[in-house]
Formats: sequence, structure tokens, C-alpha cells
Amino acid sequence: MNTVADPLATLDAVERTTFSAIADHLIPAAHGMPSAAEVVDDDRLRFVVSARPDLFEPLRAALRADLGDDVEARLDRLGRDEPAVLSSLQLIIVAGYYTDRGVRERIGYPGQMAIELRSWEVPPYIDEGLIDAVLARGATWRDPATGTRAIVADAPRTYAERFAAPADAPSAGSPDAAPTEGGT
Amino acid sequence: MAREPADVLIVGAGPSGGVVALRLAEAGFRVVCLEQGGWLDRADYPGDKLDWELKARKDWATSPNIRGLAADYPIVEDDTPVSPLMYNAVGGSTILFAGAWPRMLPSDFRVRTLDGIADDWPLDYFELLPYYYRTDRQFGVSGLPGDPAYPPDSEDAPMPPLPIGAAGMKVARAHTKLGWHWWPEFNSINSVPYDGRRPCVQRSTCQSGCNEGAKASADLTHWPKAIGLGAELITGARVRRLETDAKGLVTGATWLDADGNEHFQPASVTVLAANAIGTPRLLLLSTGPGHPDGLANSSGLVGKRLMMHPFANVAGLFEDQLMSWQGQFGDLIESLEFYETDEKRGFVRGARWGLAPTGGPINTALPSRAGEQAWGPEHHTHVRTHLGHGANWGLFAEDLPDEANHITLSSTVTDAWDIPAPEVHYAMADNARRMLDFHIERARESLEAAGAYKIEVDRLMRYSGWHLLGTARMGDDPASSVLDRWNRAHDVANLYVVDGSCFVTSSGVNPTSSIVALALRAADHMVETRFEQQVPS
Repeated sequence: MNTVADPLATLDAVERTTFSAIADHLIPAAHGMPSAAEVVDDDRLRFVVSARPDLFEPLRAALRADLGDDVEARLDRLGRDEPAVLSSLQLIIVAGYYTDRGVRERIGYPGQMAIELRSWEVPPYIDEGLIDAVLARGATWRDPATGTRAIVADAPRTYAERFAAPADAPSAGSPDAAPTEGGT
Repeated sequence: MAREPADVLIVGAGPSGGVVALRLAEAGFRVVCLEQGGWLDRADYPGDKLDWELKARKDWATSPNIRGLAADYPIVEDDTPVSPLMYNAVGGSTILFAGAWPRMLPSDFRVRTLDGIADDWPLDYFELLPYYYRTDRQFGVSGLPGDPAYPPDSEDAPMPPLPIGAAGMKVARAHTKLGWHWWPEFNSINSVPYDGRRPCVQRSTCQSGCNEGAKASADLTHWPKAIGLGAELITGARVRRLETDAKGLVTGATWLDADGNEHFQPASVTVLAANAIGTPRLLLLSTGPGHPDGLANSSGLVGKRLMMHPFANVAGLFEDQLMSWQGQFGDLIESLEFYETDEKRGFVRGARWGLAPTGGPINTALPSRAGEQAWGPEHHTHVRTHLGHGANWGLFAEDLPDEANHITLSSTVTDAWDIPAPEVHYAMADNARRMLDFHIERARESLEAAGAYKIEVDRLMRYSGWHLLGTARMGDDPASSVLDRWNRAHDVANLYVVDGSCFVTSSGVNPTSSIVALALRAADHMVETRFEQQVPS
């Protein structure tokens, strides 16, 4: 793991140029989207390496001069000889790109949102009768006593029947609402 | 350095250890638990942060070999196509598990009788059912009662079901047309405020830790209560071996603290709850003059019969934007349509299907687990057509026990304290391969009926060894099992194993709800037999 305070400062101009060329090759500007070289600037790259310091050494390895000037040949060689380095390089570029606010807006991705549940509402699959269709087929578990599909007398065949029966259920909200546990 | 003796020593602060600790602390036992990880602060979980998908691939990865954290031990996995997954902390693997909470089915306990293969369990579904009810209440389960794939229940899930999302609705409608089973999934994730914990917010980052505390993890559901009743939990405590006396009883555990200092924790009874890799590792490490092949191993089965549920993923792509990056992960819905044996299919037993969310943009943009790469101008088309447009069936195939699938102690790899690492030797059985192939085709039909225009398949996912089972099986015969029907070692009267090691067969369902129900049953037995319990002098 690199312990330099700002590892990006240790990349030279050639390595940065190589990085941009690879980024443009993998994610070019197209279909109304910017290229990765435009998006993954120093700030984005620093964000990625800050979150994942373990990626910096593979990045440096992927940018080294002895892999030549041809981007496609470089990626082919990494894929063949150093697949872990290639995977790290791809992750750095993709992560820098898709953590950019503008890119997220363009692809319609707001991030992993916190959405309030409305658990008191009847689920739409019950309203549509989709649960009734499952119940109508009857029990499907295999009864170990017979080895065949179980027959359950008086099994409810609709959701309404199931919940018309008195339920010996605890009220929601607390495990303490349930019957006392056995033993001491 | 020796410490005050415990009535019961527990190794591992995951869900089964937590269940046993709480039950025994309630009954007045002096409980000490040794946990090699530490306490986590859920404010540190990455799910609500911009770098979530980056960190989920390293420090919050489910594979200890990828994480490589101080609390982890390495696992040698050169001889397995499936990597074992776990988390080492207070809460154990419930920190990163999905939260899907299905029960085993009645036939799962009678595989030998019904299908002429593997073994029957020494108990049946109906004996375990009261414990399922109790652990459902303890962990907090959301679900819709009445699933006809199971026998009728006398007690409903304590919370209403979680939503199934747009993808779940599409597939539910398809199964209605096909006449196939589906049901909203039972998850140990709050749908309403419960037991002092908040409800789910559908962020879908369950496998990186739940920022809300809505998912049941044992660090929230059990350990604070057990500690409040007097249990002592020592973190950063790495157990090196169990010690025994001349009578063959366990006297306690030798363990190392974070600085490498050695300690000894004496105890009247020892309970292993370190998962089906860690527990046999410790038993194999605990050799002695009377047990040169490891503790509790007169049957030779310690570490054998490892089962991990071979897992395939079948993804359908839809024209509609489903926002399938949201939702509990956990599952949205499940199908048990092809769960029971039908020999015309060319294999025995079956698989459970769970429909799950599909991840964020980084997961979408990188080469997929189904093998697809999309670079160049079409990269943008790939992301636009995949992100939020997918529905994923995860297929869990029942893994039948095979002594060739086993763990040993490595002669070359150790953890940071020079304790030998476990070495996993595992191959997928032909029966499981045929089973997955059949189920992949049925899952394809399901998604096509739901309107998917493209199907992508990962036929066996490497990082899918979430369900670690079978390496110290239960049974009535000491010659063919490690544990008795109460999870007590046949060979050692004061040693219990309460994690997934005890499983006789794997079933085809996510096992945590069954592991903890079995653990509670074992703890009840410890309480009920405390006056007959043999202890070291």
C-alpha cells in the first residue's frame, strides 16, 4: 500500500498522458456522454485513490513506459500477463467516471437513495390477485410422511380467506409482544 | 495469563454465538465470548457514501482473502471453484449477509428416506419450527404469511413484508401466467420500526453493512442484550486451540490478544460458533495425546462434507427503467417451483430462486460476472441499457455432502499469529451441475415470460460461498457424525458446535434462519440439562 500523502503527485507527465489515452480508449466521448479523460481529472483520480490506496501501485504498473505507446497493445498485454493490474486500472477509470455528479445526472442515476417505506399500504400484488393465484394451487411442499405433495385440509385458497382466520400472531413492533419464551 | 472461569465459553460472536449467549445469560450462566474481530460503527459502513462501490470491493468485500484485514485469517482456496465468504467482527457474517431468511422445508430433513441419497437429520422440520418462531422474533423478520410451499404456521412473521419493486412485480405476474410458485421473500430486515431499530430505506447496500440498522445483525439484535445480562465479550481475541484434561473434557481455550500475548480462558462448557471453516480449523488445531487427529474427531469427519451451495445468476434485461439498483438485498421475491425432487429432470433435490437488486453504475460498467465487456463507444449504450433495467434470479443449488469436499490445515500458510490457515478442497458435484443447468433454463423462461429481451447467465459464481455448512455434522451414530442431536460432540461431553458446521445436508435455501434456530434449540438443551452436565474438575 502506498503511504505517500498525495501519490498522484508522483506520477510524471508521461504517465498522466498515458492514463488519459487509456481512459479515452475505454470510455470515449459518444452518445452524448463525455469521455473518461475529460471527467477523470486529478480530483476524481485523487478521490478514487484516497478511497482505495491499494489501487495506486497497480495504476503505476499499468502506466509504465515499457508497455509501449500503443494503447490497445498495452491493454492486451496487461490482460494476458497481468490481469489483476488491468482490472485495477479499469476500476479506477470506471469509478472516477461514475462518481462524477455530471455523469450521474446524464445517466439518470441519483445514487442509492433512502426511500421511506409505506408498509401500512396493501401491496399491489395482493390487489392484483397475484397472491390468490399462488394460494389457489394449494400446498406444494413435499410431505415427508408420504413422500408426495402435501394435502392440507381447509387450506385458504385466497388471501382474504387466509386473513379471515383468527391469527395467533404477535403485534408488530416489538419482540416482547410475542409469547413468553420457554425455559428459564 | 489465566482468567476467571466461565460457565460457558463461546468462540465467535456471530449470530449463532449471539443466540446462545443471550439464552444462557438470560438463564443466569456466566458467559464469556472470544471474538477475533471488533465492534463496528455502522456510521462507517460505506453504503450511504459516494465511494460505496469502490470500498465494497476491498475493505467491505465478503471474501477475507480480498479484505485481508487484521481480524481476518487467510483461506487457501487453490483447490476450489467457489471461494468461502465470511466476516470477522461482533455480529459475524450477519454484518455483510443479505438478510434473506427462508426456512428449510420438511423434505430437507429426510433426504435419505425420500431420495435415497445423503442422510436424514436427527430431527425434523416440526421439531425445529418453534425455534424458528422464537428466532424470527429475536432477529426481526418481515414477510407475508401463508406461503403454501411450507406447512401452515401458527405464528406469523412479526413484521409486514418489504416491497418487491418493479422487477418483482414483473416476475410475479409472469409466474402467475406460467402457473409457477412465487412469494414475497422473508427477510430479517425491518419493514417497520422494531425492537429499537429503524425500518429499511431500500438503499440496497445490505451486503456492505446496513447504515440504518434495519437489517438484523447480531451486534445489534443479540450482543447488547446478552452483555446487559452479564455476558462478557472479549474482542480482538484469536483462539489458538482448545485444551483438554485427562478425561478428555475441554478445560477452556488458549487465545492471543491483538498484541500477540497469550491468555487462557477456563470454562466448564465450550461452545464453538466460528462458522464451518473456522470451527473445524480450531478442532483440527486442538490435537492431544488422546485425539491426535483433532478434537471430537473419532469419526474422522471433522472438516469433511463441506457444502457451499453452488450458485448461478440469471439476469434479465428489460426495456423499462425498473430502478433495480434499489430495494432490499435481501431478496424481493423467491420461487420454490422446482425445489422438490423430480427424477425425470436427471438429478435429485432442487434449488431455491431469489430475485435480487442489480447494483450501481460501477458494478454495471465493469466487465460483468456473465463475462460481458463493453468498452469503446458502446460502453455508454451498455450502461444505459443495464443500469436499473435488470432483474436477477440467484439460484441456490442444494449441495449434497461428499467427504471429498473438506478442509485441512495448511502446512505453508498461516495467519498473522502463525496459526495454520484452513485449506479448502471442494469440487462441484455432477448432480449439482445438472441441477443448476436445469434451473438456469427455467429461470430464463421465467424472465422471458416477464418480458426480458436479453438474458445473461453466470453458470457458477466464484465469490458465492456465503453458506458454509456441514463440517461437523449432527447425527445419532458417533461413528458417522461429530455431534449428537443437541449439537454436543459425541466424543467430548462439554463441547458444543452451534454454527453451520452441524448441518447434515445443505437444503437449497439460505441457512442463517436455520443455523440460529438450531443454536437456540441447543442452548435450551444446555439450560435444561445443566445439572447433568459433565464439567472438568
